[in-house]
Amino acid sequence: MAGSSDLDRGSAALVVQRLTKIYGDGTKALDELSLRVPAGSFFGLLGPNGAGKTTLIGATAGLVRAPTERIFVFGHDAALDLESRLLVGVAPQEVHLDRFLAARELLAYHGRYFGMPKLEAEQRADELLEVFDLTAKAKTKPNRLSGGMRRRLLIARALVHRPRLVILDEPTAGVDLELRHELWRYLRRLHTEQGVTVLLTTHYIEEAEALCERVAFIRAGRIISEGAPTELVDRYGGERLEDAYVEAMRQ
Amino acid sequence: MSTTELRIRQRRGTTALAGRETRRVLALWTQTILPPILTAILFLAVFGGALGSRIHHVEGLSYLTFILPGLLVMTVAGQSFANCSTSLFQAKNEGYIEDILTSPLRPWQLAMSYLSGGLVRGLLAALAVALLALPFAHEAAHLTLTTVALLLTGLVFSSLGVITGICAETFDQHAFVANIVITPLALVGGVFYSARTLDEPWATLTRIDPLYYLVDATRAGLTGFHEATIWVSVVVAAAVAVGAFLMATAVIARGWRLKP
Repeated sequence: MAGSSDLDRGSAALVVQRLTKIYGDGTKALDELSLRVPAGSFFGLLGPNGAGKTTLIGATAGLVRAPTERIFVFGHDAALDLESRLLVGVAPQEVHLDRFLAARELLAYHGRYFGMPKLEAEQRADELLEVFDLTAKAKTKPNRLSGGMRRRLLIARALVHRPRLVILDEPTAGVDLELRHELWRYLRRLHTEQGVTVLLTTHYIEEAEALCERVAFIRAGRIISEGAPTELVDRYGGERLEDAYVEAMRQ
Repeated sequence: MSTTELRIRQRRGTTALAGRETRRVLALWTQTILPPILTAILFLAVFGGALGSRIHHVEGLSYLTFILPGLLVMTVAGQSFANCSTSLFQAKNEGYIEDILTSPLRPWQLAMSYLSGGLVRGLLAALAVALLALPFAHEAAHLTLTTVALLLTGLVFSSLGVITGICAETFDQHAFVANIVITPLALVGGVFYSARTLDEPWATLTRIDPLYYLVDATRAGLTGFHEATIWVSVVVAAAVAVGAFLMATAVIARGWRLKP
């Protein structure tokens, strides 16, 4: 008989169970962290620099070594089962794009690395270039794109293989206000129309408040609180999520 | 998703990454294909033109005929190594390897994809050198043996390139391996001399160099002359190739210097 935790893992987009990550230099980035991101939710992860957000994302996406039986993506062990990689699309905080490929090729190759047939990957690349207003730059290499375009291309890359869980690590950092709102609109559409689960980390509390149905506060490698933004405001006091965040971090 | 579907996707991904690596080789042809051709022209000019008539025959072969198989092996070894080590080092150093690391490809598939770029570059360069050397060469004795030996050379040095590209943390470390390991291996591998004519310890030193067996097998294929037993050369070369590939796969699987 499947245990209740097994059922829980299957119904959630992401389940993290008591995950500890200590880097080679002795830094404890995650300290018995547990988290559950419901399937279909727009989930925010808020915390100061060095709280463990990027480590958690890296461990989920295969960029950071993690033990088995600790991270489950739609029920698949992220450290063991490569199918989990097909379910996750990640746009890391730093923008690193293959400089040998033009924008369209970059997206199409990403799709193919994830097993899409060539034609389908190219069609998907065209579709995403249009969505992110990059069609005119299809043949341009990343080093010739502006910072905002590179950021959009990075997010588009995360979506090419149609992941069910999209992880965006500070997607609007260093992005101008107009583009930020454009990205918000796109992310909302992605979430509501396609039912994609979104896990977002951000330093902009108003961004989390505007987009996220649920939010978790992370500090020193642990989740210290989690709930709907209104619940967190009720729990910690204040008028807005920002007040709750400040109070949670202060305690 | 069934296991079969996952495997199909992984196979497609491997083909795509191999295609990307091959494309890089062809796009950067002035850095990947042209330099070994120029080097080969210089070798042919020096040993075939300037010095050729002044050097005695070696093992009954003209000096140029004797060294040509070794030049092909050196070309494949150097170019395969350089391609894999540089491509991986760049991807790692510039961070875009994360696109590959988040993919569902297995470690051996990643190794195989990077290897394919090295093989393409090494074998294309060797083909160009062989075409240039055609006027000086006589008919190959065993073309299949030559092809197998050059393929094994490509496998060995592409795998070493993958390992170096992953392990090197700076460009200096990357260059260090090329200069301190690869070049000496090539020079003491019997490219320019016959091991039979050497005194100890040089003869033994040459015989423990895996490149010696690759050069010997290639020479057997091209000229019919060989020092070691052919099957021993091929078996030693194949064993080294398998060992190097497994080591490259293990380094990727471990994630050492790829994943914190």
